[in-house]
Amino acid sequence: MTTRDILSVLNFSAFRPEPDDSTAAWKRRFPSKRSALISIGRATLIWRGVQRNGRLGEGDFLRGEPKELLGQAALPIKDAVDAGWCAVSLNTRYVISLETNLSRRPGSEEIIKSNPRSVLGARYERGKRYAVTHSPETNSSILVACDEENIRKTETMIKEAGLQLGRVFCGTYLLLRHALAQTNTAKGGDKPTSIFYVICCQGSVCAMVQDQDRWMELRSRTDVYEDTVDPALELLAPFKLRIPEESQIVLVCDNLLPEMAEGLERIFTGRKITDLSQADLLWTLAAQN
Amino acid sequence: MQIFAKSVDDFKTDRKGISPPLPIYLRIVPMVFYLTIAASILLNGLFFVRYSQAGKNREMAMIRDKQVQADLAGARKERKDLENETKRASDIVAWLDASRPLQPLVVEVARSIDDDSSIVELRLDRDAENPAQIRFSMRLGSDTTRQLDVTLAKIAALRFRTFSPQQTMEKGAIDYKATLIWLDAARENAALAAPGS
Repeated sequence: MTTRDILSVLNFSAFRPEPDDSTAAWKRRFPSKRSALISIGRATLIWRGVQRNGRLGEGDFLRGEPKELLGQAALPIKDAVDAGWCAVSLNTRYVISLETNLSRRPGSEEIIKSNPRSVLGARYERGKRYAVTHSPETNSSILVACDEENIRKTETMIKEAGLQLGRVFCGTYLLLRHALAQTNTAKGGDKPTSIFYVICCQGSVCAMVQDQDRWMELRSRTDVYEDTVDPALELLAPFKLRIPEESQIVLVCDNLLPEMAEGLERIFTGRKITDLSQADLLWTLAAQN
Repeated sequence: MQIFAKSVDDFKTDRKGISPPLPIYLRIVPMVFYLTIAASILLNGLFFVRYSQAGKNREMAMIRDKQVQADLAGARKERKDLENETKRASDIVAWLDASRPLQPLVVEVARSIDDDSSIVELRLDRDAENPAQIRFSMRLGSDTTRQLDVTLAKIAALRFRTFSPQQTMEKGAIDYKATLIWLDAARENAALAAPGS
């Protein structure tokens, strides 16, 4: 036991998770400390500070080469955080897909990070990092594959900018998980639901069809829209013929995006649309969980 | 179908040596530590205040002790002075008691002499240091000791007792020497009244 260990017990920091402990929620890692949330897209960088009380602080939206943008934004980000700790939402070079018959061993959703081959089997690809969500009713699973090279590049960029990386996550996948948890709340299979999920996260779009609790189809694209949501609506339009008739539409956007809800109403006329979008939803989820 | 919200997936390269947080119940360890420090400070403060008070009380007690000692010494001195004064007064009383006037004794001795006898020489000496004792010496012009007995009876009637009498008889003269001590009747009565006497 070192002096540092003794001091960490005496100042109670040993009872809190370490800032880069991936098993702990973000708010537990930084109680009464400021941190930052950064979203990195192909040509965008958005950041937002998290204040000591957990509320969102100032931020910025920048367009350009992410590496240059990060160097440019590093100074205000450092001013907005206490020890340089930040979380990064990757908004590019990831793939969300629907898979079947993946290993359902206990803890497989956690094991996939350290030993993806044991969960994915032949579907494992070298140079990818994975996360998975299993359907409790069927053998379907939502699989996220992030480019390892892009993650390492991001880690280097963050380090070179003088910041410390506490978490790398996929914003679209986080919003999709949020939508699933918000809409699938009935125990067992007594009330099967049919929902068409539309997830919009800073230019990326993910759409998933759930028919009677069965995940049927999932499409995900990055960098689909920028100033207008029309490209996203064009991408979603073909689903009009494929989703079940009784299916409702659940829209979850990282921020308030009323034109997306209006566009969906136009495309999917007569269907119930539930808009779960909130202002700063992505940042709020990332800061709380 | 029920899907629970779970923690956010993390794709970053994990640092080696990330230790999990200690269990919450072990917070009692630093809490006890800080409580111990707080209690130590509190008790030390309390003890310091008590120690200061005890020091002040001790000083006050020492001052009181000195004062009492001084009072005691004064009282002893007063007592000693009083005793000395009492002793002097007793001595004066004793001296006054002892130094009784000799005139009645001389008168009684002179009256005890018959016609056929005479006092050739009469001497009464009294020492200043011991006035109760009178050295009595007398030379009688007489052929018999009857006159001497009469004179001594008169002396005894005046409550004088004779000690160490010496009597020599020559032709027609008797030399008598003795030490006379007057006996106080009040003291004698007190001695007789005392238990066990």
